[in-house]
Amino acid sequence: MKEKTTEDYIIDPDVYICDPVPQQTPDQNMVYPFYDHLRDNRLTTTRCKDCGHITWPPKIVCTECMSDQLEWEDFPPTGKIYAFTVQVGGVPPGFQAPLVYALIDFDNDLRIISPLIDTDPDDVHVGDEVVLKVVEAPRDRVLFFFKLKK
Amino acid sequence: MGQKRVALVAAGITKFGKRKATFRDLIAEAGKATFDSNKNISPKDVKAFIISTVYPERSAFQGHPAPLAAEWCGVRPTEFHERVENQCGSGTSAIRTAYAAIMSGLTDLVMVVGVEKVMVPSHKEIFLNAMAGSDREWESCFGVTPPPLFAMVAQAHMQKFGTTEEQLALVSVKNHNHSKTNPYAHHQKGATLEQVMTSRLIAAPLKLFDCSTNTDGAAGVIVALEERAKSLTDKPVYILGTAQINDGYPWVAYPKDWSTWPSLRFAAQKAYEMAGIGPKDVDVAEVHDCFTISEIIEYEELGFCKKGEGGRFVEDGQSDYGGEVVVNPSGGLIACGHPFGATGVRQAWEAYIQLRDEAGTRQVKGAEIFLGHNLSGLGEHHILIYGRS
Repeated sequence: MKEKTTEDYIIDPDVYICDPVPQQTPDQNMVYPFYDHLRDNRLTTTRCKDCGHITWPPKIVCTECMSDQLEWEDFPPTGKIYAFTVQVGGVPPGFQAPLVYALIDFDNDLRIISPLIDTDPDDVHVGDEVVLKVVEAPRDRVLFFFKLKK
Repeated sequence: MGQKRVALVAAGITKFGKRKATFRDLIAEAGKATFDSNKNISPKDVKAFIISTVYPERSAFQGHPAPLAAEWCGVRPTEFHERVENQCGSGTSAIRTAYAAIMSGLTDLVMVVGVEKVMVPSHKEIFLNAMAGSDREWESCFGVTPPPLFAMVAQAHMQKFGTTEEQLALVSVKNHNHSKTNPYAHHQKGATLEQVMTSRLIAAPLKLFDCSTNTDGAAGVIVALEERAKSLTDKPVYILGTAQINDGYPWVAYPKDWSTWPSLRFAAQKAYEMAGIGPKDVDVAEVHDCFTISEIIEYEELGFCKKGEGGRFVEDGQSDYGGEVVVNPSGGLIACGHPFGATGVRQAWEAYIQLRDEAGTRQVKGAEIFLGHNLSGLGEHHILIYGRS
C-alpha cells in the first residue's frame, strides 16, 4: 500500500470537499492534541477527570457526565484482532486493494477499526497482536494504521 | 373513543436500476406512480410531504430536497414538509415520521417519497460516496465502506455459529429468484448457487452476489389517518406497530460481539408488542439484506428462528414460499436493488401490494401481517409492521 492514500482527492489545493482526512490543527479541530500525540508515535484518547469514563474516539465533552474536564491517556501498546477481512473489490478512489481491515480490541476495553499496513494478508489471524504504525497523509496530516507485532 | 390509527392509502415505485435519469426525474416518476395507484387522491389534496434521501448533496450536488421534491410531485405543502435522513434506514424513518405527524394532529395525510441517485457516471465515485455515512474523522478516513464491515460481521458469525459461505449464498439465490417476478427490480434473471459462489470476491467471505446492488430508484406512499384512509380506499393497509433504536456510533461503539445484534432483538420485541403479535404471526417480510449475512442475522433477531440457526433457516427453505415466512419477495436490497433513501419506502410499497392481493405471481397467499425492517448500522434499526385490518 502506498502511503499517500488520499492524494487522488485533491482536485484543487483550496477545495477540501472530497478529502476524507480530517483537519488536524488547532484552528480547525478541538481534538488536535490527538494528532500531535500521533506525530510522536503515541496513540491516545480522552478520559473524563470527573467520572473516569474513557471513550474511543476522543471527545471534548464527556458523554457519561457532560463534564468538559477531559485528559489525554495513552492506549496500551498492543491490541488484539477480533475480526478482519481483506477487501479486494469496491475500494474507493485513493485507496489501493488489497486492504486488510481489522477490528482491534485493547485492554482498556476500547475497539478501533483500522487497516493493517506492511502486512501480508495471508499472515493475519484472529487473536493476533498488532501495534501502531503512523502514516503520513497529504497536507502534513497523519493517520493511525496498525501492523502485526513482530 | 378508539385509538387513532394510520394506514397506507397509495403506493408507487419507479423501475430500479442504472437509470438514464436525474435525481428529480426519479422523484417525478415515483410521484406519478403513487398518484396513479389511487385515483381518489390528487396532488392538490396533499398538504404534508416528506422526502427520504441520503446523499443528494454528493450524487446530485443538490441540498434542500424537500421543497424541490414536493414541487416536482405537484404538491405545495401547507401543514408539514421536511427531509428525513437516516442513511440506509431513511425510508422507514420517513414513514415513521409521517406516522408521528399524523398521530400528533399536525396533519391527517402525508405523502412520503424515498429516492436515491446512486449511479453517477464514475463508478469510483459511487464507492467514494459510500464512505459518507460512516464516521469521516475516525473510520471513513481509511476508506471504510459497508462491504468490509459486513464481511467482519460474517467472519464473527461464521466463527461463533458455524455459518457457511454456502448458507450466505443461498440468501442471494433466493432473493435473485424472487426478483424474477418483480418487473421493477434491478436484476430479473435469477441466480444459481454456483453463480453466487463463483462471483468475484469483494471482501472475504463476501462475494459480489452477497452484496446489495448499487441502484437508482424511487418509491412513494401516501399515509393517512384511519377515517380519511377509509374515504380514499376500501383496502387501507394499517400500520400496526413500529420501533426504532440506535445503540452506538461509530461502528466500533456497537456492542463487541458483532455476530449478535441485541438492539434489533429489542426493537423487534417492542414493535411486536405494539402490534399485539409475535414473530410467528408474520406472513411476509422485507428485511434489510444489504449483505447476505445481514438477512441471516435478521431471521434470528426478529425471532423467525433460534439464535445461531439463521444459516440453517434459509438452507431449509423456511424463508421462501412454503416456509415459515416469505422473506424479501421483491428480491430485497440484493436483487431489487438498494437506492438508500428509497429502500424503506420500497418495502412499504411491497407491504401495500402484498396486503391488498395485488402482488401478482409473487403474492404471498392469504398474507395478513407484513414486517418491514431497515438498518443503518449493526446497532441501528427501524421496523414497521403492517396488517390488513
